[in-house]
Amino acid sequence: MYRKILSAVNEHVNSEVAGRYAKHLARAAGAKLILCSVREPGQTESSFEIARETARRLQHTARELGIEADCRFETGDPIERIRAIVLAEGIDLVFTATRREDVKHRLIKGGTTARRLLPGLSCSVALVRVVHMGRIHPREILVAVKDRIDSIPERAEFTALLAKAFEAKVHLFHVTKPVTRFFHGETHLTPVEWEEKVPPDMSRFISHLDSFGVEHEKRLLPGKAGRNIAVEAASRRRDLIIMGASGRGVIDQLLRRAPVEEVLRDTPCNLIILKPGK
Amino acid sequence: MKINELTREDVFRSLVTSSQGLSAEEAGRRLAEFGPNAIKAARKRPLPLRFLGQFTHFLAVILWIAAALSFLSEYFQPGEGMLTLGLAIVGVIVINAVFTFIQEYRAEKALEALKKLLPFKVTVRRGGREREMPAEDVVPGDIILIAEGDKVPADLRLVEANGLRANNASLTGESEPAPRDTKPVPGDPINSSNIAFAGTTVVSGNGTGVVYATGMRTEFGRIAQLTGAVTPGLSPLQKEIIKATRLVAAIAGVVGIFFFALGFVIGRSFWDNFIFAVGITVALIPEGMLPTVTLALAMGSQRMAKRNALIKTLTSVETLGSVSVICTDKTGTLTQNRMEVKEAVSLCARSDEGRDRIFTVALHCNNTKENGGALKGEPTEVALYSKARDVLKRSPGGRLREFPFDSERKRMSTLTRLGGGTFVLTKGAPESVLSVCTNCYRDGTKVAFDDGLIGEASDLFRRLMDKGLRVLAFAEREVPAGEDVSTAGDAERELTFAGFIGLEDPPRPEVPEALRKCREAGIRIIMITGDASRTAVSVAREIGLVAAEPVVVEGADFAKLSDAGLRSVLARPEVLFTRMTPKYKLRVVSALKDQGERVAVTGDGVNDAPALKRADIGIAMGITGTDVAKESADMILLDDNFATIINAVEEGRTVYENIRKFITYIFASNIPEAVPYLAYILFRIPLPLTIMQILAVDLGTDMLPALALGSERPTPGVMKLPPRDPAERLIGLPVISRAYVFLGCIEAAACMFGFFWVLAKGGWTWGQALALTDPLYLQATTACLTAIIVCQVANVFACRSLRESIFTIGWTTNKLIFLGVAVELLLQFFIVYHPWGHALFGTAPLPLTLWLALIPFAVFLLLAEEARKFFVRRTSPA
Repeated sequence: MYRKILSAVNEHVNSEVAGRYAKHLARAAGAKLILCSVREPGQTESSFEIARETARRLQHTARELGIEADCRFETGDPIERIRAIVLAEGIDLVFTATRREDVKHRLIKGGTTARRLLPGLSCSVALVRVVHMGRIHPREILVAVKDRIDSIPERAEFTALLAKAFEAKVHLFHVTKPVTRFFHGETHLTPVEWEEKVPPDMSRFISHLDSFGVEHEKRLLPGKAGRNIAVEAASRRRDLIIMGASGRGVIDQLLRRAPVEEVLRDTPCNLIILKPGK
Repeated sequence: MKINELTREDVFRSLVTSSQGLSAEEAGRRLAEFGPNAIKAARKRPLPLRFLGQFTHFLAVILWIAAALSFLSEYFQPGEGMLTLGLAIVGVIVINAVFTFIQEYRAEKALEALKKLLPFKVTVRRGGREREMPAEDVVPGDIILIAEGDKVPADLRLVEANGLRANNASLTGESEPAPRDTKPVPGDPINSSNIAFAGTTVVSGNGTGVVYATGMRTEFGRIAQLTGAVTPGLSPLQKEIIKATRLVAAIAGVVGIFFFALGFVIGRSFWDNFIFAVGITVALIPEGMLPTVTLALAMGSQRMAKRNALIKTLTSVETLGSVSVICTDKTGTLTQNRMEVKEAVSLCARSDEGRDRIFTVALHCNNTKENGGALKGEPTEVALYSKARDVLKRSPGGRLREFPFDSERKRMSTLTRLGGGTFVLTKGAPESVLSVCTNCYRDGTKVAFDDGLIGEASDLFRRLMDKGLRVLAFAEREVPAGEDVSTAGDAERELTFAGFIGLEDPPRPEVPEALRKCREAGIRIIMITGDASRTAVSVAREIGLVAAEPVVVEGADFAKLSDAGLRSVLARPEVLFTRMTPKYKLRVVSALKDQGERVAVTGDGVNDAPALKRADIGIAMGITGTDVAKESADMILLDDNFATIINAVEEGRTVYENIRKFITYIFASNIPEAVPYLAYILFRIPLPLTIMQILAVDLGTDMLPALALGSERPTPGVMKLPPRDPAERLIGLPVISRAYVFLGCIEAAACMFGFFWVLAKGGWTWGQALALTDPLYLQATTACLTAIIVCQVANVFACRSLRESIFTIGWTTNKLIFLGVAVELLLQFFIVYHPWGHALFGTAPLPLTLWLALIPFAVFLLLAEEARKFFVRRTSPA
């Protein structure tokens, strides 16, 4: 599915960590890796040099792993330049690191390049939030799944490739609504009873994952999605969370904070938000 | 691959830094990216919003509607007293909101206690220069210099270590300082010797480390995040009260609407119907229930405090009574945390000869200090010192140097001058000490420690272990003059094995009885201990925790267990978790809660905090507990004693039973409050009871007797019943039928009798209208109200038990009942005989004959209840 992967690199260390995920995914997928850095108007030479060094370092280590890797250094608006490369090169997946300011100012239009890339590209985008630099190779990946999952085959393949790249175990996690009745309140269900309530999309996701032969287990829990995902990752020491981008509109987000926003803010480990391609 | 598995060079490469540290510019970028190195609280609903929430739940909304309708009635139909009613309802909403908030409120101080464990200033190398800076500014990739006495500011991968030892107690619960080095090691970082964790303290030596995680992403931050974010959810009582208020509010609302419609059908005017509907709704809502529940819980917590259980959240009082599983530590809770020497054994046939040699090592290879007769030190060392001193009487010696214990060697040694010579004296874990012994003492002579003797020593060791004793081995060596013993390696070689000492932490004497009570009460006890399996099983048998062969799960196996595997282990009747670290507690508690158990868990360390928060009842140790554990817990054991938990469970069960008793009492008065309204609308008589008089009962006269019921003593069988079924309702059919159908109807008959008795005496004829200010009407409604009060006096005695006769439990065993009744009657006298009472409640004085005429109803109620209880006892024996 992924033949060409682009990783956007800048002067921030988190872009290098995002590039490492891209590198390992490219190796697992047998894809070509393009490391791209765009010098924005007003950016100092020294800071662009850091980005260039980072790209070259990633290229070097990628080639050591036998990955076909190129560097592209451009000048101009990063969104436009990356969009142009995606179209010209037929890129399937873009890795980009989100920054803390995206989390702090979630409702302000614009944000960092990463934030703007998410809706701006026609290919798939993996938005990486780096919070922990000690878990270099994730061994325990938490995949948070919703009731309704779009692009199931791609999401399953993305998860499977990352799991294979790092020889990791996948833990599927679904936060569901509690079972309540007006006069009886919440009905307690045991984990075995919850497992009978696996949403159909989650079952489809699991069967796709099975086709890749990836070791996995599932868990359902009632409650608030965002908080439960962060708590689950923290309490069970997961190394990486993968989840989908929020499907909520601006108004809905104003009224209720999207779970993905909450996880972006409170994640105890690195997080990848995957937006499948159109 | 994780940070602990990397070489020094790979660490720098991975964290994109160097031994010179980050540049100031890069550090600034990373600070903006990763944020300050600080512990921050999880986002929670602000306190004012939580308080406002008490005004918007279902019951409050119903009451708001009732208040709005009252104000509307006052506007269109002034002079009916609806303004007073509206204000009274608003008052009820506010009172209920305040009392519910008090129940639920708990100051979150656990994170504050955690923050105190982090340093303010640290030494950082940036751009090749060392400088002191605020710990908050540390970022991943920074090079941190740590030395003895420092608190570690972030999670560090060590790249230099010189005799570095850290106290990791806050993370692992292990109080013994752990040596730190720089060698790459596989496995989990938490168990790696090349990591220094945030919140830990450097005990000795110095070192340099590269920061790889800061703030909430450190291991310490993980505890803070879980402590802040993990919630046990609503307590069983809170859930029951929500269900009960919804049920009652729905009944009241439906009855109000039904009779409003009925009034129309039989041709009453709109406003008559409207006022009636509001009145009957108010009559059926037990306005005083929430304040009474809160006060009963507060009284319960006072009683628990007297029994050494300090309750921090009011609802926990009742939650304790519903626990079905208690996960408990061993040391200090089931045992006395006071080691005692039980046995000393050697390979010598004459026991005294070998014994003196063992105790000489035990006395001099020991760091216990004598301070004015008192011994200070680690419990095991104190026990050894004390016993050795008793056995040897006098054994002078002078220490030359010490090779401290560390978890890698698992032994300690001293170089000591004894008599004319210098000796290496060593004590430690048997396998560790035996591995450096080449000789042993056999019947007074030193002989080679051959395979046969090693086998004999191993048998001795196993025999002590099977008794559940903690076993230490002792050895010595005389050092020839001029030998270099500057390192532990130099000293601890070619030792002569002296023998073993078996120590025991004796169980608390009251624990077996407490465990017997638990078994009778259907509460499972799961021991979670850091001790070895043999010791744990032996202690568990000694105290009666296990009878058959228990399932024993060691920490290493626990980590590999799947969720389903853990569930099947927990389903077994007798389970012991051994060699566990506190971090596993949260998983045990969560698994039990997922299975629907109501869980209490004990804890004392920082790392216990998430489990304490997750459990239905977190129990912290008052003596040995850290501030973090105490702040995270719902209850603090002031004496660290397991038996206190069981006493508290008994109090909790009693509180729930008492809440049921006073709810029955309160609900019983709702029927005589509602029946006058029915009579008013169906039979077109003057309204026998006004809304203000209803409120006088619900929020006035009923309150203190109800509270007195809340302080009833435990019934004898309360700890012989299984834990309450979660499906069992606080207000179920038995309570409703007893209160509404049985007691309520008797009271309703009394109040209608009182009303008509006065009217009849005053010459009233059927169908005659009476003005609201007519003295006859005022006296009749007063009689109706007084009848309720008189019956409630009898009812409070009837409600003291669910099935036992009042003659069995004793009339005077609860003195507060008499106080409650006295206040109830004084209030009623005020309402009946004081001008202010007349003005406020629309009442008039009553003659003594009326009081006397009402007393038979009270007597009948009591006798009827005695008959009902007798019937219940006969038909369903306990």
